Amino acid sequence: MNALLPSATTIAALVKIGLLVGGLMTAAAYLVLLERWIAAWVQDRKGPNRVGIPLTDIRLFGLGQPLADGLKIILKEDFTPSHVDRVLYNAAPLLILAASLAIFAAIPFGSVLPPLGIAGLPDPVPFLVAPGLDVGVLWVFALSSIAVYGVLLGGWASNNKYGFLGGLRSSAQLVAYEIPLGLGLLGVVLAAGSLRLDRIMEAQAASGVWYAFAQPLGFVVFLVASFAEAARLPFDLPEAEQELVGGYHTEYSGIRLLLFLVAEFLHMITAAFLIVIMFLGGWHLWGVTGAGTEVTWAGALLRFAILSAKILGVIVFFMLVRWSWPRFRFDQLMNLAWKVMLPLGLANLVTVAAVEELRPWLVEHVGSSAAGWLAVGLPWATFLVGWIVAGVFTPSSTDNTPILTHGPLDAEHDLDHDPLDDVAGGHRLEASPR
Amino acid sequence: MTLPDGATPLLLGSVAAFAAGLWLLLPSVQRAGWLERWSSRLGVALGAAALAGLALAGRRLGGLGEEAVFQIVAAVALVGGTATVVTRSPVYAAIWFALALTGVAGLLLVLGAQFLGVATIVVYAGAILVMFLFVLMLAQPTGLAPYDRVSNEPLLSAVAGGVLLALLTVSIGRLSAEPPACCQVPSRADAVAAAAAPARPADPAALDADAVARLGAELFGRHLVAVEAAGLLLLVALVGAIAVVSRGEAAESAERGAA
Repeated sequence: MNALLPSATTIAALVKIGLLVGGLMTAAAYLVLLERWIAAWVQDRKGPNRVGIPLTDIRLFGLGQPLADGLKIILKEDFTPSHVDRVLYNAAPLLILAASLAIFAAIPFGSVLPPLGIAGLPDPVPFLVAPGLDVGVLWVFALSSIAVYGVLLGGWASNNKYGFLGGLRSSAQLVAYEIPLGLGLLGVVLAAGSLRLDRIMEAQAASGVWYAFAQPLGFVVFLVASFAEAARLPFDLPEAEQELVGGYHTEYSGIRLLLFLVAEFLHMITAAFLIVIMFLGGWHLWGVTGAGTEVTWAGALLRFAILSAKILGVIVFFMLVRWSWPRFRFDQLMNLAWKVMLPLGLANLVTVAAVEELRPWLVEHVGSSAAGWLAVGLPWATFLVGWIVAGVFTPSSTDNTPILTHGPLDAEHDLDHDPLDDVAGGHRLEASPR
Repeated sequence: MTLPDGATPLLLGSVAAFAAGLWLLLPSVQRAGWLERWSSRLGVALGAAALAGLALAGRRLGGLGEEAVFQIVAAVALVGGTATVVTRSPVYAAIWFALALTGVAGLLLVLGAQFLGVATIVVYAGAILVMFLFVLMLAQPTGLAPYDRVSNEPLLSAVAGGVLLALLTVSIGRLSAEPPACCQVPSRADAVAAAAAPARPADPAALDADAVARLGAELFGRHLVAVEAAGLLLLVALVGAIAVVSRGEAAESAERGAA
């Protein structure tokens, strides 16, 4: 009967999954409140500050708001329009939420626990659901590409033009920005020599140089691409309210809409995790945390707290950006991905590869400290050159003036011809007095 | 997969049931009335029996959890693959195919080939199939085309698939049962690599911590030319696609100019 009992490793994994899912769901609920507070602060109003403890008059700065919001959306009618493809319409929100949650199997949410001494459980216990997974970064990629299906199928199954357009826009955007995202990430993988996110954090802690400082160009490319992958402003074209009502989830209501919204928030949290883990040192802070895997309980909690604080900071940055930039046009979005971010990502990758290849030779010939400065200086030189080249040669990609070229379609549409003339049967319409 | 003794008849029976179920499920127009009415239910029943037989015929994997996960993902892969060829709607076929790929990726993960498993999802399900879905969703006319509604040669294809499956399973089962050392002369590169590489971990069930690093070193060491050639081929295909598109545009505008 021993084979039927779950092993200590299985129980540890289940405990971690429980903690992670519970923590993520609570975090998502309270991040919605934070987002509304920040929006209110930017727009100089008060924001949600009324709902406190239920059935009392205690307001608590509005901290009860997530509960009220959640109950409200769950209790709303879950309406299925008659013209949808029922199977896919129901499967899409489940698929996207499942994929967004499963991503976290490979994402560490802390460092390690001190040895527990439980039989059958290898010490030290990492803050990671699947510590044996050697391809952590690729796992994140694979599951975020599965999440694209949720968006695409939700839009298509809704049988609604807004939904379908939103789904198409979204999947085109996600597929396009996966390439700069991957290029930004490859530089880090190359420098750290591992696809495991916990090893990447340990490599940064060991050298003390976070990859945001060692690979500034890669950091910028990855940051921009992860905004696009999370479909946050200025890349929120998939659900541009003014054009598409709600994009791919236009037809959804009630709890299924909630699943979509939670999945979107989880995408943002995932992006923040990846930015912090790969470029901002993860749990490492100079002079505070140390570098090795030998920790005390206080050290383990401190590392967890530092990682969480960094992630919260990145999320606040996401939310501030939302109220600071207007949305891109779709051609600008694609130009940015293919003509700016892709070459910059390649430049970063080549620079990092050159630095890593030359490092042993440099250490041997010019000494280790000079080699260290060169290894950081060369990427910064690439960053400056890339920035200048991108700024000088792609100015039109953010220009909003309409392009008046004579393409093949213009033969049919004379630009000087006023379309209103046709509407009024040749007679020009007078502006109606209001 | 090593076959246990006496499992071959069960295995062949399951494969035959699978082929018969596949034939019943394939969309066709030339069946008798009663068969047409019952074909889908009968086909599903035969398929379920075949899955159960295949699950019983294989060798056990060890732990109960491992075994359960293996059987579930294997069933997902088989059901997804069958539904891909059986379903009539192209969009559903693409989604079933994505499910089959997920099942295959799960199998690879369970068996320890992590990189292959994850790469299958990234490349096939994540990139290629999304493109397929794009095209299918954009280009689907109202109703289904004749080639979607009826399968061309349901009997022949089911029999061919069954025979292929049976032969492959039995022969691979035989092959992996005996050590293949007899037919291989180790090359010099092999010997050097074996001398340089650290010893393999003693426990074959434990995950190889450096599996991906080893795979990368192999790909970009011994097989560098093949990798580069494949990359070049893809680049040529890309350039060719762009050339075809721009030529089509040029011809179109020339036509318009002539008109």
